[in-house]
Amino acid sequence: MTPVLPLLIAWVAAVVLAFLDSRRRWVGCLTVAALATVLGSSIVLLFEVLARGPQTTVAGGWPFGIGIVFSADALGATFVVVSVAVVLAAVLFEVLQGARSRTFGALVLFLVTGLCGLFLTGDVFNFYVFFELAMIAAYSLTTYGGSARQLRAGLVFAVVNLLGSFIFLIGVAGIYRVTGTLTMELVSERIAEVDPAATVPIAVSLLVAFLVKLGLFPFHFWLPTVYASARPAVAAILGGALANIGAYGLLRFGADILPEVLRLGAPVLLVLGTVSLLYGGLQAVSRRSAPEVLAYSSIGQVGYVLVALAVGGPVGYAAAILYAVVNSLNKALLFLASELRGWLVGLAFAVGALSVAGLPPAAGFLAKLEVLRAGVEQGALVLVLLVLGSALSFVYMFQIYQHDFWREERSVRAEGRAGGAVTASVALVVLALGLWPEPLLAVSRDAAAVLAGGAE
Amino acid sequence: MTLILAVTVGALFGSGAYLMLKPDLLRIVAGLVLVSNAAILALLAAALDRGRAPILPLGDGPVSDPVVQALALTGIVIGLAVAALLFVLAYQVYRTSETIDLDELSRLETRREQELEQEEVSV
Repeated sequence: MTPVLPLLIAWVAAVVLAFLDSRRRWVGCLTVAALATVLGSSIVLLFEVLARGPQTTVAGGWPFGIGIVFSADALGATFVVVSVAVVLAAVLFEVLQGARSRTFGALVLFLVTGLCGLFLTGDVFNFYVFFELAMIAAYSLTTYGGSARQLRAGLVFAVVNLLGSFIFLIGVAGIYRVTGTLTMELVSERIAEVDPAATVPIAVSLLVAFLVKLGLFPFHFWLPTVYASARPAVAAILGGALANIGAYGLLRFGADILPEVLRLGAPVLLVLGTVSLLYGGLQAVSRRSAPEVLAYSSIGQVGYVLVALAVGGPVGYAAAILYAVVNSLNKALLFLASELRGWLVGLAFAVGALSVAGLPPAAGFLAKLEVLRAGVEQGALVLVLLVLGSALSFVYMFQIYQHDFWREERSVRAEGRAGGAVTASVALVVLALGLWPEPLLAVSRDAAAVLAGGAE
Repeated sequence: MTLILAVTVGALFGSGAYLMLKPDLLRIVAGLVLVSNAAILALLAAALDRGRAPILPLGDGPVSDPVVQALALTGIVIGLAVAALLFVLAYQVYRTSETIDLDELSRLETRREQELEQEEVSV
C-alpha cells in the first residue's frame, strides 16, 4: 500500500467538508466516517510497515533524489495512528454534543491531512509545508466557540507558533545550504561530513521550533492560555495530536538526521527536560481549575520525553516514543473528561489520572517505567528528579479529581452522556494498553530501531 | 552578495521581532509578516548562483538552481495565507472587544473574570 493513502483520504474529505455545514448532523457523521477511514488505512499501513519495513514512494514517479519523497517507517506510522485515533475520539465527542461552527469538520480534516503528511513525508521542506497546514487549521480551531477569550488565545497561539515555524524555515534553508538536498535520507548521509560550526546553528533553530510547539519550559508561556481557553474537544486535539509534532520532530530531526548534534546537545536537553517537568508539576499543583492543571501538566509531561531523548540509544528512544504515545492518549482522555460529570466520567478521569501519575494498571505506568529505565543511566540526581516529578503529578491529578468529582454531583445532561461514553472508551484503551503492554512495547522498539543508533 | 543578503535577513528578522514586542495587534501582525519574509529571503540565499532560467535553458552555460525558487514561491504563498489569517483574527478581536491594544485587552479580561467571580460569590 502506498504511504500517501491516509493523507489522500484526509485531504479529499477535507475539501469536500469545506463546502458542507458541520452543524448538520449528517455532516458530523460524515466527518467521523472520514476520520475512521483515515484511521483504518493508517492502521493497515502500520501493520504493513512493521511486517515489511519502510514503504517509500516518490511523487510523480521521479527518480529518487529529484522528486519529493514520501516514506512511511515504523516511527511515522505509529505517530499517524495515535494522532488520528485521538482526533477521532475528540471529534466523536464534539459531534455527539453537536458541533457549533460551520467549518469544524473541514478544519479538523485539514489538521489531520497536515499531521499525516508530516509524519509520512521524507522531505524536509514538505515537512514544513504540512506542519504549517496542520498549524493553520489548529489556529482556526482554537477560536472554535468564538468567545473573546478564545479569540485572544487563538491569536497568542498563532503569533508565537508562527514565529517558531519561521525559525524552522530558516533552519530548512540552512540544511539546503550545507547539504544541497532536502530528502531526509540524503541529508542525514551528507550532514555527517559538514563542519559542526554550520550544523549547530541549524540544529538550534530546529530545536527552538519544536520546543515552542511542545511548550517546553522556556518556551511554554503561550500554552496555558491556549489549552485552558479552548473547548475540551479542541484542547484534546491540541494536547493529544498536535503536540505530537514536537515529539516526532525532535525524534526525526534530532535522532535520525542530526544524531551527532543530538549527542552534543544531550546535556542541554536533559536540563531543559528536568526543569520543565518540575516547573510544570509545581505550577499544576498550585492551580484549581481542571483545564489549567492539565495545561501545566502538559508542560511537565513533555519533559519526560525530552529526558528520554537526551539519554538516547535503543532504551532512550523507545522510552521517548512510548511516552509521547501514552501522553497523547492521557491528555486526550483528561481534556475530554474535564468538563463532564457523573460516575462513568469520574472513573475515566481516575484512569487518566493514574496514567499521568504513572501507576498501574494504566498505560502511563509502563511509559514511566521505561523512562526511569532510561534515566538509570544518567545517575542518581536525574532519577530523583524524575520520581519527584511523578510524585507531583500524582498530587495535582488527584487534587483535581477530589475537587471536581467528589463534590455534590451536578446533573448530567443527556448530550453529556454520549460524550461520557466516548471518554470512557478512551479510558478503556489506556487501561487495555496498561494491562497488555506487549504490542505497544514492541511497536515502540521497532520505531526506535528506525533511528540512528536506536536498534538493539 | 551572500553578505548583503545575510545582513538584510538579519535586519528584517530584527525589525519584525521588535514590532512583535509592541502591545498593538496590527504591529504584531506586521512584525510576523516581516519575519516570514526574512525566512523566504534566507531560503533564496541558501543557493545563490547565476544561471539561465531552469524552465527552458537556451544555449550553454550553467542553469540556476530551481529548487530554492520553488521553495521561496511556496513560502510566499504560505506567508500570504498566514498574514490573511492573522488579520482576520485581529479584526475578530477588534469586533468583540473594540480595541486592538493588548494592555487594554488584558484589562478587559481581568475585569470580566472579576465579574464572573462576583457572580459566583453571589450565587
